Amino acid sequence: MAVTPHTVDELTRAAEPRSGWIAAVAKFARERPLGAIGGVIILVMVVVAATAGFLAPEDPLATDYAAMLSAPGPGHWLGTDAFGRDVLSRMIYGSRTALMVGLGASLIGATFGGVIGVASAYFGGRADLLVQRVMDVFFAFPVIILALAVVSILGTGVGNVILAIAVPMVPRCARVVRASALSVREMPYVDAARAAGYGHRRIILRHMLPNVMAPLLIMATAFLGEAILLEASLSFLGLGVTEPTAAWGLMLRGAAVEFAESAPWMAVFPGLAISLAVFGFNLFGDSLRDALDPRLRTQ
Amino acid sequence: MRRLARLLALAAGAVLAFPATAQAPRSGGELVFPVPSEPPSYDGHREETFGLIHPLAPFYNTLLRVDPNDPGGTKPVPSIAESWTVSPDGLTYTFKIRSGVKFHDGSAMTSKDVKATYDKIIFPPAGVGSTRKGAYAVVAAVEAPDPVTVVFKLKWPSASFLAGLASPWNFIYKADILAKDMHWYEKNIMGTGPFTFVEHVKGSHVVGKKFPGYWDKGKPYLDGYRAIFMRDSAAQVAAVRGERAHIQFRSFTPKDRDNLKAALGDKITVQESPWDCILMVGINHQKKPFDDKRVRRALTLALDRHTGSKALSQIAIVKSVAGVQVPGTPFATPPEELNKLAGYWTDAAKSRAEAKRLLKEAGLPEGFSFTFSNRGIPMPYEPLAVWMIDQWRQVGLDVKHNVIESRAYFGVIRKGDAEVFMDFQCGYIVEPDLDMYKFLSTERNPANYGRYEDPVLDDLYDKQSRATNPEERKKLIRQFEKRLLDEEAHYLMTLQWHRIIPHSSKVKGWTITPSHYLNNTLDNVWLTE
Amino acid sequence: MAYYILKRLLAIIPTLLGVAVLIFLLLRVVPGDVVEARYMGEGGQFQSQDLMQIERKKLGLDQPLWKQFTGWMWGILHLDFGLSMWTGAPITEEIQLRFALSLQLALMASTVAVLLAIPLGILAALKQDTWVDYAVRVFSIAGLAMPSFWLGILMILSMLIFFKWLPPMVFTPLWVNPWENLAQLIWPALAVGYRYSAVGTRMMRSTMLEVLREDYIRTARAKGLWLKLILTRHALKNAILPVLTIMSLEFAFLLGGLVVTEQVFNLNGLGMLFVEGIARRDYTLIQALVMLVASAFLFVNFFVDIAYAWLDPRIRYR
Repeated sequence: MAVTPHTVDELTRAAEPRSGWIAAVAKFARERPLGAIGGVIILVMVVVAATAGFLAPEDPLATDYAAMLSAPGPGHWLGTDAFGRDVLSRMIYGSRTALMVGLGASLIGATFGGVIGVASAYFGGRADLLVQRVMDVFFAFPVIILALAVVSILGTGVGNVILAIAVPMVPRCARVVRASALSVREMPYVDAARAAGYGHRRIILRHMLPNVMAPLLIMATAFLGEAILLEASLSFLGLGVTEPTAAWGLMLRGAAVEFAESAPWMAVFPGLAISLAVFGFNLFGDSLRDALDPRLRTQ
Repeated sequence: MRRLARLLALAAGAVLAFPATAQAPRSGGELVFPVPSEPPSYDGHREETFGLIHPLAPFYNTLLRVDPNDPGGTKPVPSIAESWTVSPDGLTYTFKIRSGVKFHDGSAMTSKDVKATYDKIIFPPAGVGSTRKGAYAVVAAVEAPDPVTVVFKLKWPSASFLAGLASPWNFIYKADILAKDMHWYEKNIMGTGPFTFVEHVKGSHVVGKKFPGYWDKGKPYLDGYRAIFMRDSAAQVAAVRGERAHIQFRSFTPKDRDNLKAALGDKITVQESPWDCILMVGINHQKKPFDDKRVRRALTLALDRHTGSKALSQIAIVKSVAGVQVPGTPFATPPEELNKLAGYWTDAAKSRAEAKRLLKEAGLPEGFSFTFSNRGIPMPYEPLAVWMIDQWRQVGLDVKHNVIESRAYFGVIRKGDAEVFMDFQCGYIVEPDLDMYKFLSTERNPANYGRYEDPVLDDLYDKQSRATNPEERKKLIRQFEKRLLDEEAHYLMTLQWHRIIPHSSKVKGWTITPSHYLNNTLDNVWLTE
Repeated sequence: MAYYILKRLLAIIPTLLGVAVLIFLLLRVVPGDVVEARYMGEGGQFQSQDLMQIERKKLGLDQPLWKQFTGWMWGILHLDFGLSMWTGAPITEEIQLRFALSLQLALMASTVAVLLAIPLGILAALKQDTWVDYAVRVFSIAGLAMPSFWLGILMILSMLIFFKWLPPMVFTPLWVNPWENLAQLIWPALAVGYRYSAVGTRMMRSTMLEVLREDYIRTARAKGLWLKLILTRHALKNAILPVLTIMSLEFAFLLGGLVVTEQVFNLNGLGMLFVEGIARRDYTLIQALVMLVASAFLFVNFFVDIAYAWLDPRIRYR
């Protein structure tokens, strides 16, 4: 029979692994309880962030000097900070900032890193070598130094922090994706697609990218956690998100340390929130890697 | 038994009634203190940071000094200069220099060293940096007719000249060294001060040792000192709390003070004082709508300084509501008069209503948005910004907070892109000439980032600067203040900083002043044990 | 083998050059320069622009960019790293002591990390999917999840409140006074080491799991002899190697990347120098520091690659 584009599609689809979403999720939860816990944490965080306006009892920016530094109790379930702002409301809105920064940086980093990695592996040769060297250059910078430099250029604020955190992520994603893409490139259906006359773009986007999704997804979830931590570190240094924005890292800065003994709720809750969020993303990512890594599958 | 108890009580009473100051200073001991910032060079004529003063001032003397025992920090008293006379026309100041003053290498200090020092500060040769040259524009010449006399010739009479000579930055250098190399003092130390230089380990510490040949016999009391560079304020507090450091000479926050008191009780003595530092809101008059004085007045009327003072003084190093002078000093406006100025009214509701009315009159829509640029320093820039943004919110303004990294800050502001921004001023002595210079028209003072021209204001400044009668001067200063803060609202004062120094009770002989640049020669300080 | 070594060595040079160009340009894109930072830093009341221009000329900042770059590169070839723009002192002098501290801290933290990762990873693998496995994974990820400065602050506060004790504030080199030195550095080493052990634990667990699936191990396990076999045969060695390589890669990052930890524990290290250098726009210092850290990273990478190639000949011919 003639090798038409239609048959190539059928062949490629037959060669690629299948996935049924709901069944997979249920299996995942059963086999990997730790990962499920991580997933639940993430889900809670997303729900809280989405319904922040509805959930938060007070305006996170509203100061109330009469109620400065009050201990947790009815009215202010997690206490108030040095300006009389409700800690609970700031925590709830803070989840929004954390997710924005984490997802934003992760998405941008993974997208750029993924495309660069796949393209580099696909085209090979001199282009590949050049890209590898350039990625190496970025890789050689400690993450926080690169982020610091970007913030110094662009300035502070949520948008710039997202970019600053995404930049170190790109080479790391590219490297992992490239390794995975290299193995995919050798597969027969890619050659078949080339033979059928498919353009580079179509092959990369439709055939190679979906198959490197697994390692990319793992990297992205792991990096989400690190992005949240990096934002906290940058805000702690004064180079991240700025007042009066509600952000967990910012809540840990300055006043929280001084008041650690007399008003510990200011430092404890944001620290716990950050730890829990990163913990959840890491657990989930870990178990995801275990699930998707064929070598570790228990037969 | 009862008689014995009564005798004991009497004895105890007698002991307790003895004032603590009756103790005689004890010689010996090493003073340890953290310094938050490290100086880039050793030249006091060139640098601006207190990070130079704290570790290096003990190596040097200045011609005059601000009285270290005066908590007001306003009186120049003799140091290297023993006494002085002023000519009747106020244009010639003649100083008699002490004899017997030695440099640390053993050579004698004479008037030619003072002349060489002040020539470097006021008339530096090309390529030599003198940061405060502009402050001595009034000086025509410096002469040293004989080894114990120095004469300053002025161009016009100046009420603040003596205060200028008491500047803690004007270290007296050795003429012979300066003649060979004008840059020598950037990397080396040779002074006449009570301590000699032992070592400076970069990023770590500076150590000084007692100078046995110091001209003030019997002093210094300390054997030496150790200045340790610590960037993090929590680490500094921990050092004092862990009794590894005795004192920090800049300031701690109110909460740090409370924590230290709670942890160490009587082992900590707290000294507090209004601080000659203040943050101001600068307004770029070249950006619309801030050229309209109604908008500027609205901005200051919106700030309820009295409530802000009560609240912020608990969490930040600010306290008093102030005008152009530190409250409590000779030329400061008393509260009854100050509260008449816009932004200082005690009726906050009335003030806000007036602010809203002015904004409407100026044609600004509800929810008008502008950007407030701030410097990236946590204390007290951040809490003040949070407070002000909230106050402006309450009169219907939507303010975006743009934080710029500390060292890049003034470069950005100078370019003129910022609309409303945080500005600051720290003086080493409370003196109207120095404190009010900033607000002169931008053409006269390029460091005025508000970019406005106000000849009336300039004229008032000049008049008060030459006023020899203190009452006359006070009147002129009040007029200046009214025009600056109320009528034109060129600049907005926030709250006066408040200096809090909780230190080990072992440290004696150090009195707090309104300036963290003063009283750091450490010649009067001693440690109990 | 020699050819492979040469090939890898040569690959380092363009990367280093790339790093040099990148940091050179990056710094000059950041607004402000060292002269401004120094004189306008505190407001600059009586400052003059002419003075600042003179200073700029002295530092060579008025020269065209390509000239500044080639000048710097030329200096490096002569092993002259130049003078700090902020203090005017030779950069080697500025870096010396701080490098000693950061190096020691990195080594101590890596040791702690390895000592934690290997036994924990093996344990988790041996007891896969039991509560022991879960506990180990939770423990190691917890270390990764906590903000490092939060942990550091908690540590110092608890030492103060419960033990009324504080680590030494000033760095004494190991050979001068080992007791003072360790008393200061053990705490950040523990905090950092705990954090970085997570990566190693995860790796150790997965490589150990692979080893356990080997046929000969499975048979031995069925027969009950597996423990002795694992420990004596090269199985363990093969499992540990990837862990060590990944930890040595982390080590290179520990050199300049511990910015927040150094601030919290008040350590005079390279991280703080980085932050202060960037804040002060001290171009020459930052450039030198970045080259130092990047070289360390690239050379560690290089040695790891060589070690792998030596152990696994297939890699050499790729």
